[in-house]
Amino acid sequence: MKFLVFSDVGKNVSEIATKLRDLGEVHSFTLKSQRDAVMKSGSKKLVLLDGTSFSGNVSEALLKSDLSGYDYVFIASTPLGRDIAGIISAKTGNMIASEAFDFTIDNGKIRTKRFFFGGKTIMEEETGAKIVTVSPGSFEPSESPDSPAEETITLPGSPEKLLEEKDREAGGTNIESAGIIVSVGRGIGSKEAIEKITPLVTATRGELAGSRPVCLDYRWLSEERQVGLSGKKVKPRVYIALGISGQIQHIAGMRGSKIVVAVNKDKDAPIFQECDYGIVGDLFQIVPKLVEKLKK
Amino acid sequence: MALNIIVLIKQIIDIDQMRTDPGTGIPVTQGIPLKVETLSKNAIEAAVKLKEKYGGKVTGIIFGTEKSNAAMKEAYAMGVDEGFIITGYPGNNPSLTAHVISEKIKSIQGFNVVILGNQSADSYTGVLPGLMAGKLSLPLLGNAVSIEEDSGSIKIRRALEDRDQIVSAPMPCIVSVTQEINQPRLPPVLQIMAAGRKPINTEQASLIDLPAGKVLSNLAPKSERKRLIFEDVEKGSEEVAKIIRGEIK
Ligand SMILES: Cc1cc2nc3c(=O)[nH]c(=O)nc-3n(C[C@H](O)[C@H](O)[C@H](O)COP(=O)(O)OP(=O)(O)OC[C@H]3O[C@@H](n4cnc5c(N)ncnc54)[C@H](O)[C@@H]3O)c2cc1C
Repeated sequence: MKFLVFSDVGKNVSEIATKLRDLGEVHSFTLKSQRDAVMKSGSKKLVLLDGTSFSGNVSEALLKSDLSGYDYVFIASTPLGRDIAGIISAKTGNMIASEAFDFTIDNGKIRTKRFFFGGKTIMEEETGAKIVTVSPGSFEPSESPDSPAEETITLPGSPEKLLEEKDREAGGTNIESAGIIVSVGRGIGSKEAIEKITPLVTATRGELAGSRPVCLDYRWLSEERQVGLSGKKVKPRVYIALGISGQIQHIAGMRGSKIVVAVNKDKDAPIFQECDYGIVGDLFQIVPKLVEKLKK
Repeated sequence: MALNIIVLIKQIIDIDQMRTDPGTGIPVTQGIPLKVETLSKNAIEAAVKLKEKYGGKVTGIIFGTEKSNAAMKEAYAMGVDEGFIITGYPGNNPSLTAHVISEKIKSIQGFNVVILGNQSADSYTGVLPGLMAGKLSLPLLGNAVSIEEDSGSIKIRRALEDRDQIVSAPMPCIVSVTQEINQPRLPPVLQIMAAGRKPINTEQASLIDLPAGKVLSNLAPKSERKRLIFEDVEKGSEEVAKIIRGEIK
């Protein structure tokens, strides 16, 4: 089989290519800035897209790359990736299987697993889809010794214009591979209060993460630390949820954790249904106690 | 300039109220009330805010069922001016949804911008904005956290994986919004009452035959958590610290 893989994030290309390279030949497409993250993905061919990227002109470039020559097109489900998947589906008439976190291919049919009902259920589907969007972080990337043949394509012009762009400091955190995660929710109350949590992160040698409001609404933490349906899916040995209510969209991101600890002042908070150990109370009282006892 | 805005509205079951059978994991969808989908509310709010700022009109489209009147009335109460319900929604099949809605949009004269949520709260495919852009051959400004009009163009702010951008596109164009864009309004009672009297246009979808996926299973994952809850903070901290200590490496 022949696969086309695209993501605007190089790491995601490597994740998907690692899974696919045993099944067939992988041609990876990504933005030029992402080259280094894709070089060891085991792709046969690497196509770098040069120029200002929009969903429109990237789709155009992919459509020009003779998509009919590929059995499947895999696109990482990033904001840009989802838009591109939709556009090329509309233009080619091929169906999309979306948000897959696992898949198998058998006899021209693809079986995918994804969350449904906001994360309350897992849906397994069998479709004739030729385009698949893959939830980032679903597969562990591993390095391949084979280098790809490289090619650079200049992106076509577009009606969209980029007026301003700011890189967010990528801290390079990778909460997906953390052994212990200390995760904070809206209950933390302010950005400054995160300092009061740091001693627990240090004492557990853990990584800091957060709920969607903390990462996106208030930006108290960077987006790469967001856990949940629309964030990272994590599977640490211990997940410590502080001031997180436990809405289903959050649970969908931490279900793979071995042990879940929850601290919440509301004893009816849904997080207590999804934890192994819960403490009802004020997180600002409980965190110092935990730190003190861990140091003993 | 005054804007002629189309907003796409989805009606879903209230998934917060939906339970799954503790034994079998089967979702119990019977008898769960319907509501306007979360991101659709953000889309309506964004559309109405633009109208309030620049003048113009907001047209709502629901691809739904005979039961979608309540959702359209809620959209009216929030400030939508005219509404179309297209009945015949067969369930989650984004390609079909995009086909039906784009055919309807082609019949609406002189629209400037189509606004919709970036990923709906139930099925969460996230591909409808791209599908719409592809079907209508219009530029797509995806994942907006703010929208404004700027001399004939639409300008949005958005957060991509690793960068924040301000981008623009000429009108007409499609804009998808994220839930961070606004706090949808709760309309006052008077507006809700007035909305109840406003006519709704209903028409039947002309469906085409597009293969939907075969659902092999759709079940709640098993949760086998211990659920040991301590209300005694001192004792709880002691026990939890013991557990955590065993896992530190
Ligand atoms: C399509 C869609 C996708 C989504 N994706 C995600 C996602 O990926 N990740 C995500 O997290 N959410 C996601 N959400 C949002 C989700 O529905 C919830 O709104 C969100 O998870 C709530 O975050 P929270 O628990 O931090 O805040 P809240 O629900 O406000 O909970 C705060 C909690 O803190 C407790 N608290 C307050 N003060 C204290 C204190 N001093 N000590 C102890 N406890 C305290 C409160 O009792 C409360 O339970 C999504 C929603 C939608 C519709």
